[in-house]
Amino acid sequence: MVIAPLRRKVLRDLVRLWAQVLAIALVLAAGVATLILGNGAYSSLFEARARYYEQNRFADVFADVTRAPRALLAQIEEIEGVLDAEARILKLGLLDLSEMKEPGSVLFVTLPDSGKGLNQLHLRRGRLPDPQSAREVIIDDGFAKAHTLGPGDTLPVMMNGQQRKLLITGVALSPEFIYALGPGQMMPDPRRFGIVWVPRSSLEAAFDLEGAFSNVVLKLAPGADPNRVIEALDRLTAPYGGTGASPRKDQISHAFLDAELKQLSAMVKVLPPIFLLVAAMLVNMTLSRLITLEREQIGLLKAIGYSSRAVAQHYVEFVLLIAVVGILIGMAAGTWLGAGMAQMYARFFSFPYLVFTRNPQIYGLAAVITLASAIGGAVYAVSTVVRLPPAVAMAPPAPATYRQRMGWVRKLIRLKQPGVMVARHLFRWPLRTASSTLGVAMAVAILVASLWSFGSINYMIDITFFRSDRQDAQVVFAAPEPQRTLFAVRKMPGVLVAEPFRTVSSRISHRQLSKKLVIVGHPAGSQLSRVLGADLRPMALPDDGLILSEALADALDVRAGDLVTIDVLEGARPTVTLRVSGISLGFVGLSAAMDIGALNRLMGEDALVSGVNLMIDEGQSPAFYAAAKAAPKTELITITALMLSRFRQTLAENITVMITVYTSLATIIAVGVVYNFSRIALSEQGRELASLRVLGFTNREVAGVLFAELAVVVLLAQPIGWLIGYGIGLAMVAAFSSDLYRVPFVVGREVFATASLVVLAAALVSAFAIRGRINNLDMIEVLKTRE
Amino acid sequence: MTPNPDIVFRASGLTKVYRNGALEVHALRGINFQARKGEFIVILGPSGSGKSTFLNIVGGLDTATAGEAWFADHQLTALNEKGLTQYRRDHVGFVFQFYNLVPSLTARENVQLVTEIARHPMTADEALALVGLSERADHFPAQLSGGEQQRVAIARAIAKNPEVLLCDEPTGALDSATGIKVLEALTQVNRAVGATTLVITHNAAIRDIADRVIRFADGRIVEESVNTTKKAASEVVW
Repeated sequence: MVIAPLRRKVLRDLVRLWAQVLAIALVLAAGVATLILGNGAYSSLFEARARYYEQNRFADVFADVTRAPRALLAQIEEIEGVLDAEARILKLGLLDLSEMKEPGSVLFVTLPDSGKGLNQLHLRRGRLPDPQSAREVIIDDGFAKAHTLGPGDTLPVMMNGQQRKLLITGVALSPEFIYALGPGQMMPDPRRFGIVWVPRSSLEAAFDLEGAFSNVVLKLAPGADPNRVIEALDRLTAPYGGTGASPRKDQISHAFLDAELKQLSAMVKVLPPIFLLVAAMLVNMTLSRLITLEREQIGLLKAIGYSSRAVAQHYVEFVLLIAVVGILIGMAAGTWLGAGMAQMYARFFSFPYLVFTRNPQIYGLAAVITLASAIGGAVYAVSTVVRLPPAVAMAPPAPATYRQRMGWVRKLIRLKQPGVMVARHLFRWPLRTASSTLGVAMAVAILVASLWSFGSINYMIDITFFRSDRQDAQVVFAAPEPQRTLFAVRKMPGVLVAEPFRTVSSRISHRQLSKKLVIVGHPAGSQLSRVLGADLRPMALPDDGLILSEALADALDVRAGDLVTIDVLEGARPTVTLRVSGISLGFVGLSAAMDIGALNRLMGEDALVSGVNLMIDEGQSPAFYAAAKAAPKTELITITALMLSRFRQTLAENITVMITVYTSLATIIAVGVVYNFSRIALSEQGRELASLRVLGFTNREVAGVLFAELAVVVLLAQPIGWLIGYGIGLAMVAAFSSDLYRVPFVVGREVFATASLVVLAAALVSAFAIRGRINNLDMIEVLKTRE
Repeated sequence: MTPNPDIVFRASGLTKVYRNGALEVHALRGINFQARKGEFIVILGPSGSGKSTFLNIVGGLDTATAGEAWFADHQLTALNEKGLTQYRRDHVGFVFQFYNLVPSLTARENVQLVTEIARHPMTADEALALVGLSERADHFPAQLSGGEQQRVAIARAIAKNPEVLLCDEPTGALDSATGIKVLEALTQVNRAVGATTLVITHNAAIRDIADRVIRFADGRIVEESVNTTKKAASEVVW
């Protein structure tokens, strides 16, 4: 095969300039990898979820009632738009495993009707229980793994206050619990929360719900309006203690997956464009310099009859090959990272199958976008080739013109001549200086925009668990209990302080906006669970009126002093209008707080308590756990320390991976920009620098001239990078905040410092990479040749 | 050997061999040479005769393969990279065919580049005045003619008050009228500063302004003559 001479030149140029080529290719590769990772993870997750929902008939509407007769189901099925309805029982129970000292809970769910039921199980192991059996159950896969339980094992639990030994016949997954978040938890913890599917008759008997149900799920006809169905459903369930139905988008597991998808699509909007922009800029810088150096060759090629097009094509091919190298590296890296991401997802989300996408469209799109950005970067440089007449090209270029400017600055800082050289050179190519500065700034920004989250999460934990909800443990009763239950809890071993609370399901409305949530009543002056104001001080609970969390106030467009309508969804279901007396701080979920007495008055009930917040003597906690578990009224025990340690452990597992990934990405940019910038500066000023050596400047002083130029760019980039990173972080906070959680935007100085240190280190390494070239400047050669 | 305080340069048996693979090129084949303080020496010879290699070694830009070269009491052939840099910095002024000015600095700033690091410099304006360029001090190289640029280079070379001034084809890129102006500048600073001046040239006409003329051929000094009737630069024609 004969390779055309220009093709051969492209290949030789690639080999000759390999380090610069690789630096650019890596930045492109980072763009490709993040594109593939983001789009691929999104489509994998989205499609796996859609397929799972479809195959296992995941419901569209979910509603809880206290107790409704099964006969009601026929009426529910009559609602226009309802395709299918399934009545279930959902009840919490306590784990009673001997090897587990700390409390854990399980959620009992009616085993779905096999074949046509909703939220069908995906059986992993074993078999379905005998519908008539009183003992046989299925447990969820994560829980089974955490306790190494399987078919044939027994599961001791407290079911409606009674000790039971259930027999596990199978292990399954459910589309309803892809993200199996236990009540009162911040993160799935399969060791302390499991799902147990029980045949209908057995569950009815255990919870005294024969012929009744406590939860209903609906599948809607395609195109049916969920809001109208929910309205109709709420009317039907209201007499039976219905607390208001929710559409699928508010279902916990679904909503968390949505939040993850939202984060992925935000990442795709931020990261790849940064890399592709920086890469385009590097292509422009490097190609422009190459073309300047090869000016005479270009003139010669044109003079001997090559068309402008052919010469331009030669340079485009050079860039395309760089892009191809970048795309190949990026695809490999993206696939590898994608597989890692799928593994990480498998820890949080239970899918029957979740593999990272192999969709060629995602890879193809990444390749096309990357090629386009590389060519975009080449356009300007290549157009100069096209415009250059051969006669002009073969003459030496006009000398670079410099101007004296900002003399007052010089007087002010008394620059020596090498400093003047640096300043003038930077000003001579303002676009290159600006784009290199922006490039380095992007490296800083990527780090600031990723590192802030850890500090913010710590801040969130600090506020939530050390200033607001300071209880060591919380005991929740199955139903509101009279005051004497509180006294019983106070007598449990290890209890130092016990403060009651009352929860009431309600719908809060303001104008057209409304939210369904639980209003929490606290006793006046409570010390454990406190409502904090924006100034982090505890807020006094008003005799009437209520305090809304910031997130809720925003969602309802409410300010302090406004009136809101409250439809209570339990008990006598009163509707009242209350004044919002203040707005509180809160990061997890939506919350509304009242004085416990005022809440009980509103309900028209005696002093009832839904649960107790406790301070426990650490030494006696096992005894307390045992007593709390044995108390017949206890539905749920939450231990703050366990929840926090699980949260922190997960965070610590991810933090290393995240920091490694983001630091690598930022390093790739910083090295790519700094290395190319220095190589170009050296190529342009090699002659001047060699002349300085002749004049008696030492290697160190000469390197100092080049490094000073780099230092200006890198240092100037820091504050710009901080600002851009801050802006990206702020946009992320806005994009990520949902009804589930809202992340405080706290960027400590250490975030800026870490980001800058990483980038400065990368810049130093790349500067040292060209130090050898400076030391080897050929003084004699430079004296013999005209530039 | 008791060094004669009047002798600035001494070289004996100075040899330089370039190796390019198996090929050996003998650039200098045992040069013996002395130069007195303030002497103006013109070095003639065809291309490849070794004159530039010789100038580069005595200027501390290159190292010898064998033999010795001394500047006053410094043995140049024993100095390392750092020592040579310091030697160039403190004692040597260079002028080259292509000026080698820094394009981003004005004439004055190009001179200041040296005065800032030299031990006993004159001011940049004094140096420029010596070469008759006071008026053009604030111009950038790109705004100066070739002759003016070369005079800036001379001003930059002598501003440190060097003991030696080494010029490699200083008029090589200039027409004769401009070349003569440059030569005038060189002879004037040679007188004013008292620097020993070595000028390499192809141009035999320049020999008339020298105190001594040395001719190189094939890596050796083949002729040495003392000029008894030294002309002023303005009297030279070519």
